Amino acid sequence: MIFQKSSKMPTDVIETEFSERGTPLVHDEVETIVGPSVNVEGDFASEGNIIVKGTVAGSVHTSRHLSVEQGAKIMANVRAGSAQIAGEVKGNMKIKETLELTATARVLGDIEVKTLVVEAGALIAGKVMMPGLEGVEGKGLRNSRVAPTKKVEEIPPMQ
Amino acid sequence: MYVYLYDNFIRHKKFAATVKAMEINLTDYGIAGKIIRLNNYTDAKPIIEDEIKRGATTVVMVGNDHTFGQVLSRSATCETVFGFLPIGPGNSIAEVLGIPVGVEACTVLSRRRKVRLDVGWINNRYFVAQLHVLPAPLEVLYDERFRVTANDLMEMVVCNLQPFYWKQHKGDAETQVVHPQDGKLEAFLRPLTKKRWWGYTYESPSIFPFEEMEIRSAEPFTIEADGRRTKEIKVKIKLAHNKIEMIVGKYRKF
Repeated sequence: MIFQKSSKMPTDVIETEFSERGTPLVHDEVETIVGPSVNVEGDFASEGNIIVKGTVAGSVHTSRHLSVEQGAKIMANVRAGSAQIAGEVKGNMKIKETLELTATARVLGDIEVKTLVVEAGALIAGKVMMPGLEGVEGKGLRNSRVAPTKKVEEIPPMQ
Repeated sequence: MYVYLYDNFIRHKKFAATVKAMEINLTDYGIAGKIIRLNNYTDAKPIIEDEIKRGATTVVMVGNDHTFGQVLSRSATCETVFGFLPIGPGNSIAEVLGIPVGVEACTVLSRRRKVRLDVGWINNRYFVAQLHVLPAPLEVLYDERFRVTANDLMEMVVCNLQPFYWKQHKGDAETQVVHPQDGKLEAFLRPLTKKRWWGYTYESPSIFPFEEMEIRSAEPFTIEADGRRTKEIKVKIKLAHNKIEMIVGKYRKF
């Protein structure tokens, strides 16, 4: 955590040490915060966690956690390690681990994720794909659908 | 050989006892050396270069955050080991470096735990502590990849070693802190929006860790780097890795 009240120490710190004078020392992890009245345009990438409260257009990429808060707008393709969405996302999402959609979430785009958690009230318009269903999908398609018959005419070689 | 750069303010009577105790401690540790007193307009770089030629191996700044910024913003390119003995109020960098304020700092200095520190580079000069861009209609380009704008004015603080203390609202009792982290510079952005007929209110801030950034504006904006104010139209800020070799404490925050 980068933001913290000086009087209170955050609970979710990675490592806490105590100095000679007895004051706790906090080792923070790199975190990017996009505030509510800030507009970001372009290829937005970060090595650490991203918290979006404003507007982002272009593409968003992080190997760690992405949090889109209520009222925030992302008009971009998203790639993240894990994500929690409470705002609006217009674009395709590729999440490595868990995607959590809260009641206020609106997703307009395809989702590719390992684990999906959807709260009642969340809106999705798009395809949802999960790894591990590739074989089942193939079998299902073979059983349910009949491939259209195609007529192939052999053209004799020109003499 | 050790060289000590004393800031002008420690001539004051109230610091005399601490300075004397420090000098005794340094003599006990066998690291006492030449003392040079800095004035407000002294450029530390030629002094340090002269002392290096005379055989100085360690240059120790004695003072507060202002002294630290004043000396290192000029002499970051000097090839020597730097030390810091914090005295008096306004010492937030010392905490980051794990150096206790006062006489105990001599112990840290004597242990010579050396670490290479990153410094910020802004339009051909260095800044060590903090860079403050006063509210202006800014456009910020990060790492040549994405652009950040606000609807109206925007204030910006780039922290290198000095933490930034701020309040959400003017009347707030609790002060919040942005902790600097080594390896990246932290840009703290606070947009301002117009409040009814006059005045501005601060919006929730944004934080972007970065290595390279460009700040642009249609009109000149004021920047304050390590206490020195200038007016600019376009500013390029970079991170210069491992520029300064510094003696730090065991309980440093990076």
